[in-house]
Amino acid sequence: MERSLFEKYGGFGAVSKIVMRFYNHVLDSDILADYFEDIEMERLIDHQTKFVASLMGGPASYTDEMLKQLHDHLEIDDKAFDEMASLFRATLVEAGLDEEDVESVAYEIVKRRPIVVNVS
Amino acid sequence: MSGGAVPAKKAEAAGAVLDRSAFNRALLDSVGVGLVIADPESRALLFHNRRFLDLFPELPANATIDQIIDVPADEDFAGEDVVIREQEIKIKRRKASLLIHFSRHSLPEGDVLMVECHNVSKIKELEYMIESYSKMVEKNARDLRREKERAERLLLNIMPKTIYEELKSFGVTTPQRYDEASVLMLDFVGFTSMSVATDPMSLVSELNDIFTAFDRISEQFGCERIKTMGDAYMAVSGIPEATPDHAQNVAKVALLCRRYVRQRGKTRPQNWQCRIGIATGPIIGSIVGVQKYVYDIFGPGVNLASRMEEKAGPMEIACDDVFYDLVRQDFQLEERGTEEVRGIGKTKIYNLIRANEALDLALI
Repeated sequence: MERSLFEKYGGFGAVSKIVMRFYNHVLDSDILADYFEDIEMERLIDHQTKFVASLMGGPASYTDEMLKQLHDHLEIDDKAFDEMASLFRATLVEAGLDEEDVESVAYEIVKRRPIVVNVS
Repeated sequence: MSGGAVPAKKAEAAGAVLDRSAFNRALLDSVGVGLVIADPESRALLFHNRRFLDLFPELPANATIDQIIDVPADEDFAGEDVVIREQEIKIKRRKASLLIHFSRHSLPEGDVLMVECHNVSKIKELEYMIESYSKMVEKNARDLRREKERAERLLLNIMPKTIYEELKSFGVTTPQRYDEASVLMLDFVGFTSMSVATDPMSLVSELNDIFTAFDRISEQFGCERIKTMGDAYMAVSGIPEATPDHAQNVAKVALLCRRYVRQRGKTRPQNWQCRIGIATGPIIGSIVGVQKYVYDIFGPGVNLASRMEEKAGPMEIACDDVFYDLVRQDFQLEERGTEEVRGIGKTKIYNLIRANEALDLALI
């Protein structure tokens, strides 16, 4: 079986690095911060930890259905999605992932645009 | 140049020019904690450092401490040097968690309230993340454990526990010879024609019911079900752990299985009739196969039980004379005489009828 990114980059250490950085980027972003205005820190981190672990092939899996449900109550347009995708990519680079792994994870994100974006 | 003289002189010179209060101020600004000194009565801010302004960038002029922080009531200070509170604030748009230490100090100029604000957001974030992560891992571990138990249960269905333990510890098992064991073989009269005559699906489902009941009976009386093959059922006692009661165990199972079949036939349209053969003799138990392994038994005891089953009439339990000798104290048996047994020669055969009342079993 192919080794997952999760195993390649050292499991929890890698996940935590990405989660903490991504969380900061998101909350500092003028475009994204509003979405998280009323959300509890604990919930947001819980969500992001699972999301990152799941993207990396770690011990969680988010189905597309769950992602859709999680984002349904937010009005997410392409601009917000682009911002999130680019911040996530930047986070992966900062966290020291190889270029091809950054590409493959970024692709996993972009692939889910139709699930997450719900306003035009 | 003599060592140490110059730095000492420098420090002295600096002390001379440094305004002590400016120095203190620089020191207070450089600490990583938001610091406020307030009047405990009017609650007016007497001093705050730069870090405090980082936490409360929109601090109004002439603000009192109460307007920005929840100060504990006077009685909360009773007997306490420091009162600690947690408070959520917003720095610009971002939420932050503060851990705030309140302390009161008596100075020559009067009493003051000192407030130290520690920004613990990062620690909280990490705590939340670790909690979320560990829950995930624990859930995974639970799922794995369940999966392992399921696999283990499946394996225990096809081999005795001790053999499974051996396989688990060593990766292989060695065939074992058991000199003292009794084997039971059972099948149904006219099963082949039954399956053609009736709905095969319901027939198999009935067979499943019956074998499940047999399994329960076998387990209850110290027997190990080895396998079923079509309508045939095979159980054994005396392996993998030796037991002096192997013959009695098998006799009880045979009687109870027969009773089960009889009782069942009374309430259902399909009349099942079984044939049971029992024999006592040495057997060898072993796992057979590598990818698809089964635990099976071989040897004279098995062969003889199979021949006894052939000799048994509908709803009869036929057994050999070694078995007879072992159980005749506790059970009633009927001698059928000596018959030619294929591959074995002339053998005395008995029919097992019932258990003696002393056994205190509701056996028919």
